Parts: sequence; C-alpha cells; structure tokens
Amino acid sequence: MAETVLSVKGLQKAIGKKPIIHDITFDVFAGEVFGFLGPNGAGKTTTIRMLVGLAKADGGDIRIGGISLQEQFPQAIAQVGCIVENPELYKFLTGRENLEQFARMSGGITPERIEEIVRFVDLERAIDDKVKTYSLGMRQRLGIAQALLHRPKILILDEPTNGLDPAGIRELRQFIRKLAEEEGLAVFISSHLLSEIEMMCDRVAIISQGKVISVGLVKELMEQFADQVDWTIPSSHIQKAEEILRTLQAVTDVWVVSEECLKSRMDIEKVSEANQALVNGGIPVMGIATKTVTLEDLFLTLTGGGGSHGAEHSGARTK
Amino acid sequence: MEQSIVGLVQNETIKLLRRRRFLVVVLILAILIPIFTYAQYRSVVTAQERMGTTDWRPLLTQQIVDMQNRLASSRLPEEWRDLIKVRIAQQQYYLDHDINPMAPGGPTFARGFMDQAISMFLPMIIVVLAVDLVSSEFSEGTVKLLLTRPVRRWKVLTSKYITLLLFTSLTVLTTLILAYLLSGVVFGYSGWDLPILTGFEVSGGELETSGAFMLPQWQFLLMQYGLGWFVCLVVATVTLMVSVLVRSAAAGMGIMMAALISGTILTQMASSWESSKYLFVVNLQLTDYLNGTLPPIKGMTLPFSLTVLSVWAIAALIIAYATFIRRDVTS
Ligand SMILES: Nc1ncnc2c1ncn2[C@@H]1O[C@H](COP(=O)(O)OP(=O)(O)O)[C@@H](O)[C@H]1O
Ligand SMILES: [Mg+2]
Repeated sequence: MAETVLSVKGLQKAIGKKPIIHDITFDVFAGEVFGFLGPNGAGKTTTIRMLVGLAKADGGDIRIGGISLQEQFPQAIAQVGCIVENPELYKFLTGRENLEQFARMSGGITPERIEEIVRFVDLERAIDDKVKTYSLGMRQRLGIAQALLHRPKILILDEPTNGLDPAGIRELRQFIRKLAEEEGLAVFISSHLLSEIEMMCDRVAIISQGKVISVGLVKELMEQFADQVDWTIPSSHIQKAEEILRTLQAVTDVWVVSEECLKSRMDIEKVSEANQALVNGGIPVMGIATKTVTLEDLFLTLTGGGGSHGAEHSGARTK
Repeated sequence: MEQSIVGLVQNETIKLLRRRRFLVVVLILAILIPIFTYAQYRSVVTAQERMGTTDWRPLLTQQIVDMQNRLASSRLPEEWRDLIKVRIAQQQYYLDHDINPMAPGGPTFARGFMDQAISMFLPMIIVVLAVDLVSSEFSEGTVKLLLTRPVRRWKVLTSKYITLLLFTSLTVLTTLILAYLLSGVVFGYSGWDLPILTGFEVSGGELETSGAFMLPQWQFLLMQYGLGWFVCLVVATVTLMVSVLVRSAAAGMGIMMAALISGTILTQMASSWESSKYLFVVNLQLTDYLNGTLPPIKGMTLPFSLTVLSVWAIAALIIAYATFIRRDVTS
C-alpha cells in the first residue's frame, strides 16, 4: 500500500459552545485523489482549516507524512499545499512577486523552481502583471502554483470548482488527475457535489453534520448508488422484462416494485440501449422514468433515514 | 526548516511599500510642512509689522509685558496663573542672556514643528502606516497564505512588527529632514549652534531655573526627535494591537483617532482628574519637559511619562501576540 500522507484521527472542534466537528477519522495515501463529500454546512471547511493550521483542533490527532501538525507545525505544514475556499493573493503585487513572497516563507526555493511552476500552470505571459488584472481562472492557476511551489506531498483544495465554468472544471479535473497519477501527489478535495467527486476521486469520505459516515472507494459507492430507472410494463410481461434487464451490462440491479413497475439501477446514459433490448425481446414498454440519486438520497440511505433503495426523484438527469 | 526573519521582513517591506503606505506618509509631510512654514513666516512678519521693527528684543519685552498684564487680571484661574509665571521667568531668561528664542532658520522650524506634531500629527501619520498592517491580511483573506507556511505565528507577527518599527523610525527621520530642508527655503539653513535653554524643573508649579543650562540647538533637536521617535514607537505598537484586534481598517482608524483626539482634549482640561495621567494619550507631549512647560497634570514628569508609555506598549504587545497566536482564522 502507498505511503500514508495524511492521517486524521478523532478530530473534534467546537465553535463557541457549539460542537461543529464530532469525530473525523480518515487516511489519505500518496498518489490518490481523496474526496471529502458533504452537503453545505457539514463541516468540510472547518475540518480543512484544522488540517492546514488555520484553526486549532479541540481534540484528535493530525499527522502529515507521519509528523504531528499540532506538535511540529513548521515541519508538518511544509509538506502541505493548500487553497482554502478562494485563492487569496496579494492583488497589488504581480504574480511573480506573489510567488516570491511564498518562496521566502517556504525556504529553499530557487528562481528556476518559480519559472518551472509558472510554466506548469501556464501563466508565463501574465506572470509579471498585477494580480488584480487576472481573471478568476488565472487566479485559480496562480493559487495552485503557490500551493505547489514548495513541492508538497499533499495538495488540499476546498471546493476548488466553485465559480469555475464547465471548461474550467474540466481543465481542473484533468490537472488534478495528472498531479496524482504522474507526480504521485496526494490530493484532498472537498465538494458538496456527488458528480464532481465521482469524476475526480479514487476514494471518498462522506461527512454529514461533523461526522464521517462512510469511507471507501468511489467506484464501489457509485455501484451501490447508481441511478435508477422505473419501467412501466404490463404485468404479463414483467418477469420476462426482468430477465432481459438482468443480462445487460449497464444494469447493476433489477427488482419488481409493483404489478406493473420494474426498477433497475443502471447508468442513465444506457437507457435507450436497455429499452431497445426490451423491445427486441417483445416487451411492450409503456413508460420510462429516470431518477438520479442525489447526495441527499445517499445521506438518507447511509444514515438510515430513508428506504434501502434511496428516495425518489423523477425526471431525467441532464449531464 | 526555520526561515530567517530577514526574508519575512523583506516580504513585509515589499507589501508595505507596494500598498503605498509610506508614500502617503511622505506626501502628507511634503504638503503640510510648506503650509506650516508659510504660516510661521506670516506670524513672524505680522509680529514685526505690529512692532514696527525686526528687532526681536522689543518683541520679547512686549510679550513679557502682555503676560504680566494677564497675571494682573484677577479672574485668571489658578492653573493658568502658574503657567504664565513659568513662561515669564523663561522669556526673562532669554532676554537677560541675549538669546533670540524665535530666531528663524531651518533647525528652529524643525524644533517648533516637533513641539507641535509630537502629540497629534506624527501619531496620526504612524496610525496611517500601521492601522491595516495585520487587519488587511484578514480582510483580504491573505492571512490564509501567511499562516499555512512553515513559519510559526509569533514569527509572522514579529516580522510585521520589525517592519513597522523600521518605517516608524524612517518616518521620524523623514520629518526632521523635510522640516529642515523645506522650511530652510524661507528661513535659511543656519541655526544648528543656536543655544537653547533646557533643564527646567517644575516643582509645585514653580519653574526651577537652577538646573537650567544651554544646549546647542542640534543637541536639543537630537533629544527632541529622540523623544518624538519614542512616542511614535509606542503609538505604532498600540496601533499594531488594534490592527490585530479589529478586522476593518476603518474601525481601527476610528479607534486610534478617537484615542488621540481625546488625549489632546484631556491634556487641556484634565488637571482636576488626576488619574487620567495613566492614559498613554495624555503622555505624548514629551517635548514639553524639555521646554519647561508645565505638565497638564501635577505629578507628571519625563520619567513618569516614559514609564507610562512603556507599560502601555508592553501590554499592547502582549495582547497582540496572545491574540494573533491563538486566534482561529475563520472568514
Ligand atoms: N465562525 C463560525 N461561527 C459559528 N459557526 C460556524 C462558523 N463557521 C462555521 N460554522 C458552522 O459550522 C458548520 C460547518 O461549517 P463549514 O465547515 O463551513 O461547512 P462546509 O464547508 O461543509 O459547508 C456550519 O453549521 C456552520 O454554520
Ligand atoms: Mg465550505
């Protein structure tokens, strides 16, 4: 197994008298993209603030590369690069001057390293302009440059896709995968969007109301919670339809809900193929309804608040 | 692993310069000093016209007579009476020893300028320099970058404090240089060796001239600007604390202005409220101890004021560090 870069055990935090974080425990390994998934207000930002030393934990242990953050702050934090919420930079300085500020704080960073990172985030042309002239995307890239400047072992990003357009999100996604796969970096990403975590991450911790309620591989999670399709089929054909659907690869689960209704868990993009298969098999399909599993459904299921097959939402998903 | 403080101070210096804080300070000085120079010039000219002579002796004699006349008025409050007696004794000394206390010249202007500026104008300028040193990092969110580097928090604040002390010192030095150079255009550049009378002791409202002695003006200026420098360092330290405690620059500015202005008001009317002498804003007029002016409150002496200011500065530092090191960063 790869090296454990970030290890969090029993993290706790109260703001004022109100406990916000109850018991957060997880490990992040080198070379993986780790998702931190939870709805707004779950405590993601609060947790990340503690991970990067902006806030002090009331209890629990944070280790980065085996070094305790609480006890040896400089040594531990030297291995972390982060953007908490928005990339905040000195707007009255140029991009290069910003990087030089961070270089002086991190130590051991050569001018060549600055050139290298500027090329890496593709900011060569704008690097000597003041940051206040930058677009959001450019600021984001400069933010990533400052986070990676000192060659950290782990990159921590808090909702990095907030405010980005779809092209920007796609670019960021590729960039993050590249960092993890080619540079062997551990990347820790928080998000409140299930789809985002699904596309970017290898493993995920799901957090709700300050507690981790599940940690595991994203792939397994998605299989368990794939989208659902309701088929309305005459009761005379329902058994046959179930058999046909079962043979399809895109379908992970099929069960009969009522006399005329069949439910399948499957990739929604493959609905027309499944329909084709049913029609070819002589099944008169009377209706199709697709349901997207939302984060809320997932939470209801994981916290035991909902039925075992998730809450229902009608309507086709636009992807 | 441990980063040198020099690099951090360099960072802070770059930020302070690029925020144009020091430029603003120099501009304020460069605009106001010529205005004060002109005002001084007008008052000299007016006085000479009134006297119908450019000889300063009749002028000084007239001032003494004026003050004696005021003393004769029975409605004068007791405190004022003491003060005027002290002034008369002082002016008489200048007259007897043939010293022109108003002899114009760059150095004399610089001396008068510090007398006027030490309790209000210079502290205000230092506030401009210091008020958002820490709070701007919080309000702009850049504190997140500052505190997620391998540098301990006390070191981050220390680098800011060192930078502030450097620029405060530079401001006092710039004040001296600009006051001398700009006023010299009108008054000339001589007068460094002019003898200045100092060493007065005030005891029970009486001016003790027994300890008084002459100093060449340049030495007097050195002492005076030294005291001004000390006052500025204390104001800078207190402002740093405000900058740590208050998020917005406007609020910090308001707090410091209110403090400084109420200090000025209190020195003028607090002689009956004795414990106000423990407020730092009442103790800023240090140059008065050199000039032999009566202190605003009985019992105030130069060592007393220096002690009060030092205690305030140390307390402000402790609060600033404790808060900055312990505080969680939430946006
Ligand atoms: N400074 C604060 N004071 C009081 N409550 C706070 C503060 N910051 C966050 N909270 C509360 O903590 C919880 C978690 O917030 P946060 O960590 O920002 O959530 P997330 O980033 O997952 O959306 C929320 O319920 C929020 O109301
Ligand atoms: Mg958040």
